[in-house]
Amino acid sequence: MNCELKTKDRTGVINPIFTCQPAGAQFASIGIRECIGIVHGGQGCVMFVRLLISQHFKESFEIASSSVHEDGAVFGALDRVEQAVDVLLMRYPDVKVIPIITTCSTEVIGDDVDGVVIKLREELLDTKYAGREVHLIPIHCPSFVGSMISGYDTAVRDFVRYFAEKGEPNGKINLITGWVNPGDVTALKHLLSEMQIEATVLFEIESFDSPLMPEGNHVSHGNTTIADLKDTANAFGTIALNRYEGTKAAKYLEKEFGIPSIIGPTPIGIRNTDTFLKNLGRMTGKPIPESLLFERGRAIDALTDLTHMFLADKKVAIYGNPDLVIGLAEFCLDLEMKPQLLLLGDDNTAYAEDPRIRALQENVDYDMEIVMNADLWDLENRIINEGLELDLILGHSKGRFVAIDHNIPMVRVGFPTYDRAGLYRYPVVGYAGATWLAEQMANTLFADMEHKKSREWILNMW
Amino acid sequence: MADINEKIAQLENFIMKKCLWQFHSRAWDRKNQNENILRMTAELLCGESVNTDDPADRCYWVDAVYLADSYRERFDWLASMGKDEIRELFMALRERLDYVLVDGSLNEELTDPRY
Amino acid sequence: MPYHEFECSKCIPERKKHAVTKGPGEDLTHALPLGYLNTIPGTISERGCAYCGAKHVIGTPMKDVIHISHGPTGCTYDTWQTKRYISDNDNFQLKRTFATDVKEKHIVFGAEKVLKQNIIEAFKAFPDIKRMTIYQTCATALIGDDIDAIADEVMEEMPDVDIFVCNSPGFAGPSQSGGHHKINIAWINKKVGNVEPKITSDYVINYVGEYNIQGDQEIMLDFFRRMGIQVLSTFTGNGSYDDLRAMHRAHLNVLECARSAEYICNELRTRYGIPRLDIDGFGFEPLSASLLKVGRFFGIEERAQKIIDEETARWKPELEWYRERLMGKKVCLWPGGSKLWHWAHVIHDEMGLDVVSVYTKFGHQGDMEKGIARCEVGALAIDDPNELEGLEAMYKLKPDIIFTGKRPGEVAKKIRVPYLNAHAYHNGPYKGYEGWVRFARDIYNAIYSPIHQLSFLDISKEDITDDGGFRTQRMLSDISLSEEVRKSNYMREYTGKLDIITPLREKSYPEFNKKP
Repeated sequence: MNCELKTKDRTGVINPIFTCQPAGAQFASIGIRECIGIVHGGQGCVMFVRLLISQHFKESFEIASSSVHEDGAVFGALDRVEQAVDVLLMRYPDVKVIPIITTCSTEVIGDDVDGVVIKLREELLDTKYAGREVHLIPIHCPSFVGSMISGYDTAVRDFVRYFAEKGEPNGKINLITGWVNPGDVTALKHLLSEMQIEATVLFEIESFDSPLMPEGNHVSHGNTTIADLKDTANAFGTIALNRYEGTKAAKYLEKEFGIPSIIGPTPIGIRNTDTFLKNLGRMTGKPIPESLLFERGRAIDALTDLTHMFLADKKVAIYGNPDLVIGLAEFCLDLEMKPQLLLLGDDNTAYAEDPRIRALQENVDYDMEIVMNADLWDLENRIINEGLELDLILGHSKGRFVAIDHNIPMVRVGFPTYDRAGLYRYPVVGYAGATWLAEQMANTLFADMEHKKSREWILNMW
Repeated sequence: MADINEKIAQLENFIMKKCLWQFHSRAWDRKNQNENILRMTAELLCGESVNTDDPADRCYWVDAVYLADSYRERFDWLASMGKDEIRELFMALRERLDYVLVDGSLNEELTDPRY
Repeated sequence: MPYHEFECSKCIPERKKHAVTKGPGEDLTHALPLGYLNTIPGTISERGCAYCGAKHVIGTPMKDVIHISHGPTGCTYDTWQTKRYISDNDNFQLKRTFATDVKEKHIVFGAEKVLKQNIIEAFKAFPDIKRMTIYQTCATALIGDDIDAIADEVMEEMPDVDIFVCNSPGFAGPSQSGGHHKINIAWINKKVGNVEPKITSDYVINYVGEYNIQGDQEIMLDFFRRMGIQVLSTFTGNGSYDDLRAMHRAHLNVLECARSAEYICNELRTRYGIPRLDIDGFGFEPLSASLLKVGRFFGIEERAQKIIDEETARWKPELEWYRERLMGKKVCLWPGGSKLWHWAHVIHDEMGLDVVSVYTKFGHQGDMEKGIARCEVGALAIDDPNELEGLEAMYKLKPDIIFTGKRPGEVAKKIRVPYLNAHAYHNGPYKGYEGWVRFARDIYNAIYSPIHQLSFLDISKEDITDDGGFRTQRMLSDISLSEEVRKSNYMREYTGKLDIITPLREKSYPEFNKKP
């Protein structure tokens, strides 16, 4: 077998690929309008995540802390949650949704967050805030389980589970995008609109790219409303694009409300976008319009200018969110590139059962490694000590020194991508994403050729 | 000619703006700093020599030299003062600083028994 | 009425005593904000945690050390590459971070075994590094792993390595400051005195409370070297683990950030009699006074004066150029702990800036005393600020610029206030004479940015006069300047290079003979 699936053979982490679960829950929460989460734990759990998110978007988002201190760790800190909810409600009159996001410390000390939410509903909300719409949602995501990926998946499910309410069928589908960028949401909504499909998009994050205006304070915030979340129960189908970032919610809707769901594929590349459109068509009965055929054609035209001439046989390493990694690997293969190393950054046992990974194991006809529970030392160590040669790295900005120190060109994708300007505005999904990705990869390779003076003259006549 | 309170205020304001030695984190430490550095500054302004063999003394002394030099540069009225007047002035200054920085201070950490 | 009540915090009246407006004729006994108290939950405070204060601020700048966090990966991921503490060891400490990846089963059964495996693996992966610091996190503190015992075991088995254990989990204190204290005390208790250093000069100092942000430490090291002073160790910027074990052999502790490192200075004074000299490395006058004090301590003040004269002559004309154009501009000085007092008076004196507010995220009342002592009358001083208070203050005070962290800077940006990163700088370093000019230049470029000017224009309302396709900073800044200033031959814009640190690393220094 040429494509091997293995697990990192070290116990610890050197240069992690992911941060922990609460970050995923916090990222999900900022997609909802009038939502400010309370992270129940040490202040670092929220301060650093806010920093991380702000590095990616160059915008600040509002998330609060219950500020657990030493006495809380010893005696329990539920009173901090109560106080945090009260303070938040007093000072932010527009806030309606408050997820209470647990962390490792508060899970270890065993704070009964579900219980305190019930207490708050019966007491504080019923008295001091009587008549005010407030939704307290416990989200359990200790850091010693999973990673930011599973935290996100859990949070999406918890939001949907809390709000989804059967009403009249709405003629829409639910589109659970997974952990994507605003540029991806724009591309996805464009595809839906061309097919004349109405959808409840989880989450509406295009508004993350907020403007600097002459008046007022146009703070970045998400645009998914409570009504949207309630309405998820009334869709006639759910598509969760990222298997590891949305399946839980899709399955919940299926079980609870009988809404059929399609999981994946992550629509990266032509083939996966084709499948996405076909799935949309099957689910809604809508045809694929000519406009999208032209878009597809334009994308294929652009890719054809690149693949056999420049991208073929280029060796790539890919790390980041699992669906992103798999989707990128599939696209790279279609582009005639040769992914050598895929790094899946946490210990999710489901990877071994993932049919897309099985397909890679069965069909890849050269040496490729897929490492589970991987970290970035898995990448760098292979470069330094095991003779791994790469033409390109696809991954997020935390791995930048691997590229910098070993002079390997890198296209930043995924989360976070703070060391390049504006990447969150661009898609990696859809036909637009396929074009953008391929052209980014090509231009990055071209710049590297010139920098290294390696056949740079070839571009004189392209 | 400025009266003694105005003079103290001028000396005090300079220290508050420009120096850091008076802001150690415990009451006893601040009193110690005030005593040593102001005493030495007064001695320098009186033209007396200061013993700097001990490293702790040397450290007070460098802050005192800075103060004495700066005071001489900024406050003409110092030049016309006699030694006794200077000593009296600096005793009052020290009392004033002890008050602002220790006895009257609102910094609740100053009295923390742990260092 | 010196205590300042925020509209947005009227409902949490405890906040009232955390902000003070400096009144005329007042001294520190009239009003002082409370400080270093537990955070009010849910306020969206700026504070971080004690793990950060220990591991990120003080621990990880040590350049020849494997820094491993014993806990789930999040803590280490979050504190990886997010501060600009560079080093001349190829930035090993920036590029590498380690975590023991504690999982649910470890929470239940303990993680000491996995810790030991991690330690061995880490040393194996980087065989040239023989020093390690292990940081406790919330999770491992709560399950009671005895990290010291494991470290001792490994040190027995691997005698050429040395390991320092710091027990400062995130909840250990109201803010980062709790972590500073813990690591200071742990380091002097466990490590100082274990190594005898090579003494190469008659004049030996520890440079304490300096973290080499963008090369600050290397700027100051250059001055000390030019004076023939041996900087035995720097706590901890660009610092070496073994040098820091030899701190007890210095003659003098030169202390910059008292907030994070006065604890170890105080202990070194008590245990070894090494005096503590607090200095300011920022600003021409404070820096000059500081260099003179250090020089004078050793009887070599003429060497300090030589540096002061050279540097001032070279860079003063450029500082003056910016000062003329920054005069009267209003700034909110909103850093973490000590820059409010390192900068408050000197950015006013030397750059003409009007400091309308100072704040401290995690400082103590002592930091407020220093900050309020140094700022001008009318300034609003805030302890443990939160986001709504920050916004309210900016709306009220209308600053032209704000010096704060990266993320609160984004908050300011949205209401058209440009920011400079007070923690990590933009085009630093900011210490030293040239550094101070670089700071002034960054401020100038932020305030007089033509794009920033355009952000105020509502094109739906205002008449756009067609007066050109561009502006320059000078067109904006020089409007109200006198002809004499504008055409000055003496003053000039910054003439330094982009990177001023790399050349320092290649510099050679004069030999000063040790006294026999």
